[in-house]
Order: sequence, then C-alpha cells, then structure tokens
Amino acid sequence: MITTVVGNYPKIGTGTKTPNLRTAISRGDRGEMTPEQIQGVRAEVTAEVISDQIQAGIDLVTDGLIRWDDGQTYLARAISGFSFTGLIRYFDTNTYFRQPVVDGLLKWSAPITVADYEFAAANSSKPVKAVLTGPYTLARLSKDQKYHDQKKLVLDLAEVLNQEAKALQKAGATVIQFDEPAILKHKDEFPLFQEAMDRLTKGLKPTLALYTYFDDISGVYPAFLKLPFQIFGLDYVMGKANWDVVTEVPSDVSLGLGVVNARNTKMETEAEIGDAIKRIAPIVPSDRLYINPNCGLEFLPRETAYQKLVRMVEGAKKVAEVTA
Amino acid sequence: MSGLLTTSVGSFPKPPELQAARNKMLRGELGRDELEQMEREATAFWIKSQEELGIDILVDGEMDRGDMVTYFSELLDGFTISGLVRSYGNRYYRKPIAVGPIGRKNPMTLKTWEYAQSLTDKPVKGLLTGPYTIAEWSFNEYYSTFEEFVMEVAKVVHDEAMDLERAGAKYIQIDEPAASTRPEEMELVAKSMAVVTKGLSAYTLTHICYGDFEAVIDDLNSIPVDNLDMETANQDYSLLELFRGHKSDKHLSLGVTDVHTHEIESLEQVKAGIRKGLEIFTPEQLFIGPDCGLKTRTTDESIAKLKVMVQAVNEIKAEMGIS
Repeated sequence: MITTVVGNYPKIGTGTKTPNLRTAISRGDRGEMTPEQIQGVRAEVTAEVISDQIQAGIDLVTDGLIRWDDGQTYLARAISGFSFTGLIRYFDTNTYFRQPVVDGLLKWSAPITVADYEFAAANSSKPVKAVLTGPYTLARLSKDQKYHDQKKLVLDLAEVLNQEAKALQKAGATVIQFDEPAILKHKDEFPLFQEAMDRLTKGLKPTLALYTYFDDISGVYPAFLKLPFQIFGLDYVMGKANWDVVTEVPSDVSLGLGVVNARNTKMETEAEIGDAIKRIAPIVPSDRLYINPNCGLEFLPRETAYQKLVRMVEGAKKVAEVTA
Repeated sequence: MSGLLTTSVGSFPKPPELQAARNKMLRGELGRDELEQMEREATAFWIKSQEELGIDILVDGEMDRGDMVTYFSELLDGFTISGLVRSYGNRYYRKPIAVGPIGRKNPMTLKTWEYAQSLTDKPVKGLLTGPYTIAEWSFNEYYSTFEEFVMEVAKVVHDEAMDLERAGAKYIQIDEPAASTRPEEMELVAKSMAVVTKGLSAYTLTHICYGDFEAVIDDLNSIPVDNLDMETANQDYSLLELFRGHKSDKHLSLGVTDVHTHEIESLEQVKAGIRKGLEIFTPEQLFIGPDCGLKTRTTDESIAKLKVMVQAVNEIKAEMGIS
C-alpha cells in the first residue's frame, strides 16, 4: 500500500518558515521584487511542501504544483498555439482560471515541467511523481478558435503532452500522472478519449497513472480500467457510486483510492479511512493500492491539508498493521 | 410610459484610507468606532455621488463589507473562519466553516441600510447574500447534507429581509452568484429563495453571474424574485439571447458596463446594449446597471462608467418618450 497525493498543495500557510508566496507575488506586481526573486520563493515553497508531505508520511510525493496557477494555464502558456481570455469557473468549484484559447496549431517546443521535476527530485528523499493535465481535459477547458474539429484538437494535444512526458522520462521520472477529470462529465466522448490515451502514452516507459475526480466512472467501466495505464485514480468521495460500479480491477493494474475529501475541512477519522481500505480489499489487494485524497489539496487551507494527510497515513498504517 | 430605472449591483470601491483603516483595526491599532465613522463617511460619499449622477435606485456601496459571504458568516452563529484558500491567480480569501447550527443574533445589515436611507429621498436597496451562495462558498463540517445547510441559512436570510422591509426598504436584493455552479441544483436555489422571499412585499431582485445559463434558463425564471440581475455586457449580450426564446414576466437588470476592465464603455456601446435589451423586454421590465459590483474598479473609473450609463439611459428615454 502506497500513500500519495493527487497533485497540488496549498501555496501559502500561516507560521511557515519560508517567505509567503502571495506577498512575494504582490511585491513583484509593484516592482519591488524581480521575477528571479519570485522564482526563488517558489523554489523555497516547493521544497517546503515536499518536506511537509514527507513529514506527514506520504510515500510518493509531488512538487505541490506550486508554480502552477491552475491545471490549464501553466501548461498552455508554454505550448505554441494558445492565447488566453477571461476568467471561468473550474468545474463546480469556487476557483477560476483564465481560459486558454486555441488560435494556432498546437506544438510542443521545449520542456515545460522538466526543471520542476528535477528540482523536486533533488529536494525529496521520497520518490516524486510528475503530474500533467491530460489532453482531453485541457482541450475541454479551452476555447477552440482554430481547429473546429474536437478530435484533431484532442489528438494534437495528446501528441504535445506525449512529448512533454518523454522529456520527463529522459529526465528520470519514474511515475507520470495525467489528470483527466473532464472525461467524467462527457462520457459520450469515451471513444475519442481512448484514442487520445493511446496517442498520449505511446512509447512511454515510466509507470503511468490516470487520475479522475469530481465524479464516478459509471458508464465507462470496465473499459476505463483497460486504458494503457498502470494506476487508475478514482474519486470515492464525490464519486461515491464508484463503490458499486467498480467490482473488479484488472490484475495487472493498481487503484488510486481517493478517500479523503480535499474539498471540505471536515476531518475524516482514522476509522473511516481504515474502513474504506478494508472495503476495497476484496477488489484490490493492498500491494496494488494507492491511498490518496480525492483530488488536489489546494481547495483547503495549508494546515488542514497537512492534518488530513497525517490522518490518512495513520488510518492506512493501522489497517496495514492489522492485515500484516 | 416609465421604465429603464437605473441602479447598481451593490459594491463600490472603498477609498484607500478606509482599506488601510480596516487593516489597522484588524491589527488592533484602530478602534471599531473610528472605523465605523470612516465607513459612514464613505457611504455618504457614494450616496451623494449616486444622487449627483441621477441614479434611480441607490445602494450603500458595501463600505463595511469585505467579502460578500464572509461578512455574513462573521455575524452569524454557527460559523467559524478558515485559513486562506486561493480562488484564482494571487487572490486568496478566508472561507467560512459551518461548525454548528446557523442562527442570527441580531440584524446584520439594518444599521448601514438605515443610515444610507437617511441620507436620501431616493430608495436604497437592501443587499443580502443568498443562502445557496453562503452555503456553497463555505466549508460544511456540521450539516449532514448540503441541502439541509442551504435551507437553514435560508431562514436567517429571510429574517434579515423581513427586518429590512419593516425598516422601510422598498427594494431587497438577494445575490446568488454561485447559483449557476451546478445546473442540477438550480431547483435548490429556487426552493431556498422561496423561503427567503416568503411573505415579503418589497420588490425583490437577485444577482447571478458566471456560468452556463443555457442549461438553466427555465429554472432561472422559476426563482421567486421580481427581477433577475445578470452580467450581460462582458459576454457581449449573448446572455440576452437566451431570454428571447423564453419569454418571462420577470424584470431584468441588464448589465451594461463590464466591471472587470479599466476601459470606460462608449456612450454608443452602452446605448446599443440597452437597445438589445429592449428588443426582448419592455422598458418597464428593464433595469439598467453595471454587470456586477464595482468594488474592483477605482472610484474615478466607477463614476465614469456610471456616468456613461446614466447618459445612455437618458438619451434612449428621450428618444422613446419615456419619462
């Protein structure tokens, strides 16, 4: 059983040792800090949130996506063919992002997240998982003014992200996660999604994870778990139906069990986490199980996010001790 | 014939010294009374400004509110406040957390409304945040379902609306910017609004923004208020088209200035927007205002935007023979 996080981690907290990123960015806006100095603060905060995760007992960490404003624009700004328009709501959350506009052919020109991965790997005593937004979700959350052909757009983005993943592979990434929450809101497009996932994962050697959240996979199960990935992250908090839908997991893949609610401050009990792990045991043995929150932790204040991870790890440990 | 009443959504920019005073008060360097005195002065400035501009239905400008949800949760029983969470870019806010039964100790907005109304003969709108938005923009550690949370908040918002009406408010606006978050929950928005507006004889409005309204246009018309206040200018009035095929008896507050841009709209732009509204709604049905609260603009920008708005309305009224 491996404990992990889904992706992002709260960027600021109270009483932290590192400079406050929010203050640094405001000072940058006023011309009181250089972009290089702000990058320095981002690096310090990244190192801090990696160390927070390790201290909480997380086995497989991320860099907390501290440099990302959101799952879309961080990648889109570095991919040729995108511009940006007004703020829109991210799914049913109270968070917003500048909507990417596709107004040119989409092309990968240089590594986007490789330096971030290398920094995280150098600053972590635990394995680091690289995280990318998947091509379907990135396309769905963008406004297309160029392709007028959803399939070609998604497949071109899959190609772009495949090249990014190859760059991560070259840099030594052993686990790469792709986030695809949007497919659960548009299940009728699953055939296109399958094609995109084939293109996305072509020739990649690292362990590949496909994470979904905010909903369940009813309607695309069992085909979903046959996509070319080794780990499937499913949301058992907002997608409670996953408990009934997913009755079997192929024996050659692992399940990422999203059991901690990263969108509400109410603390889970260790018993609740333990019960969830026991409940999934007949479907997936513990050596093919990842335990994680249901989505990224940035919807929570930093302190609550940390406490939830501590609780999750404790709950998982207790079950492991009993079953060992 | 009358119609095309002008109004504002709710918030106006705070003078920089008020923002600074607020921070000082939070650090304990300034007394609450001194802050309240500054808030009253700022309120008086905006009442006077709106009168000079010739606006028909005034607002107090929310000089005493920080965030539209946090303001209420700080005054209600059952809420505590979280650490900072990010909403976008470098914008963070403290999110309320329901930790016990929600209850109202005292009227929350009455004193400010009464003060603002005492300064003018024009009607001043009562400004409340709706139950769905208060619940949706909070964490919930107490109620077993989200619906229960929303319906309990609806009761306290109703009590507040009744207090405003008793004090003489002719217009009460209950904002639900979160209403379009989940199309499948529009019914809950309407059901909770029914609790808020039950027994009110005041004219009621609700401001709704950000969202995919195509899926919910019929539900929007079912929200029990007299007037829907929509941000239409920043979407180039495409929202209006939705109403074309869904004739409604409701009144519409048409947003004619984009509050997210420094640029001041031209007179012709605003007039064109109003004319678009008049293709679908009668002048009596149509109120004219900015898209949203103007608090993110500067004072000068806000006044310039409102000035163009009033002039555009006056010219169209003259053309149409509306008094």
